[in-house]
Amino acid sequence: MRFRYTAAMKNTDKTRKPGRKKPALRKKPAAAQSRRKGFWRILLRVALLGLVLLAGWMVYLDALVTSRFEGRRFEVPSRVFARPLELYSGAPVTAAALEQELALAGFHKGDGSRSGSYQRNGGRFLISSRGFDFPDGKEPRRHLALNIAGDQVQNLKVVKGPDSGIVRLEPAQIGGIYPAHQEDRILVQLDKLPELLPAALMSVEDRSFYDHHGIAPLSIARAMLANIRAGGIVQGGSTLTQQLVKNFFLTREQTLLRKGNEALMSILLELHYSKSDILETYLNEVYLGQAGARSIHGFGLASRFYFAEALEDLLPHQLALLVGMVKGPSYYNPRRHPQRATARRNLVLDQMQQAGLLGESDAQRARSLPLGVSDRASFSQNRYPAYIDLVRRHLARDYKEEDLRSEGLRIFTTLNPAMQMAAEKAVTETLPRLGDKALESALVVTAKDSGEVLALVGGRDPRYAGFNRALDASRQIGSLVKPFVYLAALSQPQRYTLITPLQDTRFTLKFENDTVWQPKNYDGLERGEVPLHQALSKSYNLPVVRVGLDIGLAEVKSTLQVFGTSSAISDYPSMLLGAVAMTPVNVAQIYQGLATSGFNTPLRTIREVTDAGGEPLSRYSLQVNQVADPAAVHLLQYAMQETMQEGTGRSAYNTVPRALALAGKTGTTDDGRDAWFAGFSGDLLAVVWVGRDDNGATRLTGASGALPVWSNFMAQVPQNSFTPVVPDGVQYHWVNVQQQALTDEQCENARLMPFITGSEPKQTITCAGALPQKIRGWFEGLFQ
Amino acid sequence: MTRVQTNMQNKAQIFRRAVVCAVLLLAGCASGPGGSIYAPAGERPQAPKPPLTDGAAKPADEPQVWRKSEQPPEQKSQQQTGVPGYRESGDQMPDAAAGLVKEADTLMAQGNGAAAIARLERAQRIAPRSAAVYFKLSEAYVMTGQLGSAEQFSLKGLSLAGRDERLQRSGWLLLADIRRARGNVAGAQQAESRAARL
Repeated sequence: MRFRYTAAMKNTDKTRKPGRKKPALRKKPAAAQSRRKGFWRILLRVALLGLVLLAGWMVYLDALVTSRFEGRRFEVPSRVFARPLELYSGAPVTAAALEQELALAGFHKGDGSRSGSYQRNGGRFLISSRGFDFPDGKEPRRHLALNIAGDQVQNLKVVKGPDSGIVRLEPAQIGGIYPAHQEDRILVQLDKLPELLPAALMSVEDRSFYDHHGIAPLSIARAMLANIRAGGIVQGGSTLTQQLVKNFFLTREQTLLRKGNEALMSILLELHYSKSDILETYLNEVYLGQAGARSIHGFGLASRFYFAEALEDLLPHQLALLVGMVKGPSYYNPRRHPQRATARRNLVLDQMQQAGLLGESDAQRARSLPLGVSDRASFSQNRYPAYIDLVRRHLARDYKEEDLRSEGLRIFTTLNPAMQMAAEKAVTETLPRLGDKALESALVVTAKDSGEVLALVGGRDPRYAGFNRALDASRQIGSLVKPFVYLAALSQPQRYTLITPLQDTRFTLKFENDTVWQPKNYDGLERGEVPLHQALSKSYNLPVVRVGLDIGLAEVKSTLQVFGTSSAISDYPSMLLGAVAMTPVNVAQIYQGLATSGFNTPLRTIREVTDAGGEPLSRYSLQVNQVADPAAVHLLQYAMQETMQEGTGRSAYNTVPRALALAGKTGTTDDGRDAWFAGFSGDLLAVVWVGRDDNGATRLTGASGALPVWSNFMAQVPQNSFTPVVPDGVQYHWVNVQQQALTDEQCENARLMPFITGSEPKQTITCAGALPQKIRGWFEGLFQ
Repeated sequence: MTRVQTNMQNKAQIFRRAVVCAVLLLAGCASGPGGSIYAPAGERPQAPKPPLTDGAAKPADEPQVWRKSEQPPEQKSQQQTGVPGYRESGDQMPDAAAGLVKEADTLMAQGNGAAAIARLERAQRIAPRSAAVYFKLSEAYVMTGQLGSAEQFSLKGLSLAGRDERLQRSGWLLLADIRRARGNVAGAQQAESRAARL
């Protein structure tokens, strides 16, 4: 209080009396002397006051420095990984896909023996894996040799490293969840780093690091001299501590006040913390580049970003480049300005040599090497926006957004990069050919038996991170509902089999409010009697409505619900023709049960989440839940296979190899507003939607709009055929469908079909009766 | 107390049966008719093309970007095409998956059920149509006390056992034990009678 009062007095003197002071000085010398004394007194007081203020300021700075340093020092983004590629003899992978996968995981072309490199010669690969800490254990470094033939891995051999018949490559990083300031880093620990790195850094940036107390006046003087000589700023005298303080606490502006604060905070930091603590923080904090909005901080991430290598694996010339880039990451960007970067690196190598860190010959060799920078950034943040969107929604169930942004979690997803690439290609290639520029699309690919979401496309531009149709476009599913109607019917084998004749004839439904409903077939025709299997494979509307009404809407609704329909299902009969809105992901979920003989398998995008240190936090296990009789589903699968062979899905084989057996269903809504295709092979389930965002009419059907996208995708991926195992309680019989009777294999119109035991026809006919008819037909043909 | 003892006895019994089942399974599964069902990517259709449903379908002469690698003749799929197909039993377990199952066995012997499940899920991704993998998963879930999941995985395994009576019997008995341990006596008896009918 006393000092404040004095200060106020002094200020009053200064402001009120300057005009009167000067004449008084001339007139009264004695008074001037006394005033001079007064001046010193004031000066002393001012100095004292300054000291007190400084002390106060330092207390404030000290609190700032310690609180930031003691608390969470870094917000580390969470890393999202693709599924690791598993290599074993027989693994389904094309040579091109393997090469793409290697590139995504940061492998570079080389001799296949240096860590992180691979060599390809036709189908022959040599791969040197880096090893990786998976949540379930460490995958060691290995040298591998393998062949790809017939789109399968053959002769996998571990040339060096622990032997194994199955090897996981390190997974590609496919995204990150970043703090608001978009700083990205991988934390490193000083004691796990190559010793050369801190030594090289000190030789260039701060030779007396271990001797000073935060600031180095001699270095400042030297830098000032150098700057005066050069007529501009060519050298900085900042210690590593000062640089850290500047980055950590202060703005980038060059003012005296900021310089002062920087010096004070540096001293305080050194007072509180050890040199190694400060050095480690520096190594993790320093800014080393930019990737779009994401800033690259710390040597750990910079090593990955520029060389696609772990920091501990870098060679001296690579370390020298990173150390050199501290001075100006943009100016010395090795990808944009390789010459500048090389010159800077060589300067650092000179300094390292002078400091005795490198021998002459080693330094000479290092200077002669190319920069060794990887072709491109190890991953691009927005490569798979739709998929990452789904991952984030799943994560949001169990994790807080702020933890995801700052705790450095490692998220292991189920994304299969080769499938994703094929899915994107299928959409981007096919959509422009469908004629309407406003058409949009969504594609969901899952592993049939595990429910893992392997690929996801949310629109015609797969890089666009906007409206995600795969998750958010809720559209009527049209005929995709029919398998569930027939499944409900086939679950009553005493009433319905695959050969039950259904009426494909018009009828009118009259409701209580006197409104009428008259369903029609897509082509407007009526065919009289058609067997159930054909009614599904050709997707006729009239029979399915009759069947649905016969077994009851409630039964159909309950079937849809147990298979995982999450949207509201109307109680009107139009529901039987697909007046039910669903998202493509939801359709994939309900078809999962059809593809797996009645086992619901919840869709998953995440296998595991670990903390930054690799400790498991969550595991999302495979789950199965039987919701339908496998026997009834097997019958339905027969008809869905027939759809691909003879029905509405047959044009798939214009594109897909004939050897690949498939099952599926088309779906179209009124005026072609929605074109759907949902189908599966032995390994994969894929759902495609094509339509307009404004729900406008198109000239497309499921077969002409969605199926081409689906087939394009399926044709690109090596996989197993869909050949379902006959479940307990199902028997195949040769039948004459028209006659509703068992028959001999050799007979005309004989068809091998599955029946739930006991529901097969009781009557048997032989070919005998058919033979004269055959001969008559031959004669008729001759004389016509 | 008696109930706890019964449960423990049940668990031990399930284990014994599961081990017998696993030995049987790893000895090999019968493969279904039709040989390989693997279809490499991008093989052009050989059969006469069915009529196009719409002009928008992919033109036949468009080149594939991912070329099929050279394929030895024995790799050609024997699968009959043109009619819906089926198989009498699931896949044999490839060596890679069998290796993982063995690791899972070791982990279970060490009492580490969670790690065993992680190994078995890897095996399942490699051999998703092998009944053996699902029976093993069922065993691992019994060990971790998650009998609901154990029951579901034994059902899933059974759905892939096909005509293989040995597999079927093991699966039904495993299911019977799990159901009994869950207190579902009627379900257990039903499963046992299915096994007895084989």
